[in-house]
Amino acid sequence: MALYEGIALIQEKQAVVLDLGHDYTKFGFTGEAAPRCIIPSSFWSPDEKRYKRVYDYKDEDELYENLVHMLHLLYFRHVLVNPKERKVVVVESLLTPTLFRETLAKVLFMHYEVSGVMWADSARLCALTLGTNITLVVNIGALDAEVVAVVHGSPVIHAIQSGPLGAGAVSAELARLLDEQHGDTLRLTEHVLEDIRVRACFVPGRARALTLDQPGTVEARAVCVTGPERVLTVGGRARERAAEVLFLRDNEMASLPDLVLKCILQCPIDARRELAANVLVTGGGAALTGLKARLAAELRHLVTLPPYRSSLHSLQFSFHRAPCPDSSVSWSGGSLAGAADGGSRALLRDVYCRSRRLRDWPCLLHTTPPDHHHWAELQC
Amino acid sequence: MAYLTQPDYVKYICSCGQLKPITNLYFCRHCLKIRCGFCICHEVDSHYCANCLENMPSSEARLKKNRCSSCFACPSCFHTLSTRATLARDPAGGDGKPPKKMYYLSCFNCRWTSRDVGIPDQPVASGGWPERTNPFTTRFNQLLDYYKAIAQQEKQEKLDKERKKFVTRGKYINLTDKTGLTGAMARNIAGLPSSESSSSVISNFVPSQASPDVEELPDDYHLKEIDLKQITRISQRTSCPELQPSLASRLSPRPRALCVKRSQRCRACDHNLTKPEYNPGSVKFKIELLAYYHVPEVKIISYETIKPGGTSALLLKLSNPTAHEMTVKMLQPEDVPDQEDEHKTIEKTLEKSLNLEKDISWNASFPRRPPPPNAGSVNLPAVSLTLAQRDDAAEYDDEPPGDNDDIILWRKSNKLALRLKLTTDAQAKVGSNAYFSFALQYSYRNTVPPSATVVQHSDHTLYTTLILDLGKVCE
Repeated sequence: MALYEGIALIQEKQAVVLDLGHDYTKFGFTGEAAPRCIIPSSFWSPDEKRYKRVYDYKDEDELYENLVHMLHLLYFRHVLVNPKERKVVVVESLLTPTLFRETLAKVLFMHYEVSGVMWADSARLCALTLGTNITLVVNIGALDAEVVAVVHGSPVIHAIQSGPLGAGAVSAELARLLDEQHGDTLRLTEHVLEDIRVRACFVPGRARALTLDQPGTVEARAVCVTGPERVLTVGGRARERAAEVLFLRDNEMASLPDLVLKCILQCPIDARRELAANVLVTGGGAALTGLKARLAAELRHLVTLPPYRSSLHSLQFSFHRAPCPDSSVSWSGGSLAGAADGGSRALLRDVYCRSRRLRDWPCLLHTTPPDHHHWAELQC
Repeated sequence: MAYLTQPDYVKYICSCGQLKPITNLYFCRHCLKIRCGFCICHEVDSHYCANCLENMPSSEARLKKNRCSSCFACPSCFHTLSTRATLARDPAGGDGKPPKKMYYLSCFNCRWTSRDVGIPDQPVASGGWPERTNPFTTRFNQLLDYYKAIAQQEKQEKLDKERKKFVTRGKYINLTDKTGLTGAMARNIAGLPSSESSSSVISNFVPSQASPDVEELPDDYHLKEIDLKQITRISQRTSCPELQPSLASRLSPRPRALCVKRSQRCRACDHNLTKPEYNPGSVKFKIELLAYYHVPEVKIISYETIKPGGTSALLLKLSNPTAHEMTVKMLQPEDVPDQEDEHKTIEKTLEKSLNLEKDISWNASFPRRPPPPNAGSVNLPAVSLTLAQRDDAAEYDDEPPGDNDDIILWRKSNKLALRLKLTTDAQAKVGSNAYFSFALQYSYRNTVPPSATVVQHSDHTLYTTLILDLGKVCE
């Protein structure tokens, strides 16, 4: 048995892992510790004579073309393998729009004729890189921050929290602060803002954050950032306040620590303590200097306030470090998952061609158990 | 060539519905259809380094992770690094030994050198450069072994379960059967991994340990002066996915990524459309079925401004790129007969019955964009025009002017200039794009015999639809 399996492993081409993020795409082979390339999710569009982002689409046809071009770039310029007859592990969020999933499936199966696709959600994959049974994954992406509790290999769907608190929100706030500082609309490009955010911005500790608005507080030191067109002075105000937008509380309770606590609150009561003791903060947005420490401090403070005090007051928060850089944690999880089972969980091409259907958790067709009294109706 | 850098004024409609200039199109001689980069199958042909033009077999390329072993890229600006030599002074005091030649890497673009990050100079020019290893590799391999063992165990359990089905029950009921519960089953119901794992990998695995402490910034961080030159940009971080260094002092030279030569294949018939030569220095092809060599090329010479409701003159040049005489007739795009039905020969039906026909379901999922709306129509002459075969030597001949009439402006070897009239719709909006389309019917002599037994050439009548971009509708 083992011998035959070994032969099968040799014959099976090494699968690739695709993590198509909003800003950056991670792509590489399964079983490797790091992706082969991390490139911006955009390609040169000869028709429009500009760099076009994959997520910049109006309808399905445009998305189809974007994905074809992007995958061509990934396969033939970066990873240099034939897409045909090779399996793919797609790392996706549980909240990926159906249109995007289905179009990606169409492009992979029909256009590139891959032999199978394994669809895996990023929260579970992030938990895989730790090996823990119960994990709370806080994924701060380019647009959204998503908090998903993974309990024994399954995400707690009804407790998923998501908010527009990604790196993009920090960039937008940074642009506003810089305009305010210079008294002029600067119209900085996304690249310049990203560069300032990554290199100059930081998240002050909680003690300092509380004193920011008091008179007489010494401002942070300003820095000069050399941009493509000019040298821009980034004041201390912009440097330390840009990320405050993530921690801004209002009546809606939609700040980043609120999302984390709300997720724990909606989880089963016997998993809550474990979840708080196993927090993993990942995603490209989490790499911001000082963000993790601040989030930890805010969580510990917030848990003593209502409405969390009554049910969560005794939680002790502990944090994990994933065995890879922040931006590629879910990719590494995909690499582990794809290599471990040799692609046996993948949706095969012939199966897809027959039914043209993807399994998805919001779809009753796939989530209704066979003993449910509606099951028979759904089958016809 | 057609227009290399200008916008594409004349576009052809590919068999998949995409609009492309003739220089971006392929022509499959076996299906006799125009194909484009979107509807053909690309394949990796050979790996090579674009810097040293060295070929690398694909197995070796896979082993070296698609990176050249001798060329390095600058981690700061991604330019190619050059090897520089210096004479090293012996620190122990020169006791008669000649100074040794030492080498380091230097970027001629941004002046980054391998000395900046503390990489010691090497005694040999070609390499021995230290590689930064991924610090997470060991942990990652532990995880990988753990999950592989779990997958293996799951498979084994599944097999055991199937085997158990056939085991006949014993005569006597034991306690487990009575209560229906064992420790293993209870764990199984709860979805926990079974405790009596046979593998040592699973039992020895240590999950990641969480710690309550998170690295905090120092209290006076906001007063510290930071040198932005020492903090890497995001492109510098992502160029090294394993480490993603945030400090410039952690950058290290990256081996240059390889490039590939691609070959293209028609999806419908699996024949090669292009196949490059193996030598990386050569830009030639072994197989080169480009539309530019097979389909009549149309160029715009000049046109009058397009006005709503008016007529304007249009001068076109047609040329025949093939080595055979070609008859061309211009049609309205709606008069093109449906080409899908005419290829149903006996051979095809036989193939279909044997289930040999290619799965062309990808075609159905293709987005077929409708061509842009026309601003008017082209008044086409109902005559067949004959284009002579392409003859490179004829360029140098002094040819007498050919037959001129009110349609043909001039004729020269395989080229022909036409004078046409455009009628613009009265409703055409001023400032909108002036697109005009027409179809070409052309005769094509296929020199590839369909099989080894048939020798004679076969003549075909083919159609292609073109779209002319004549700027904007003016007042």
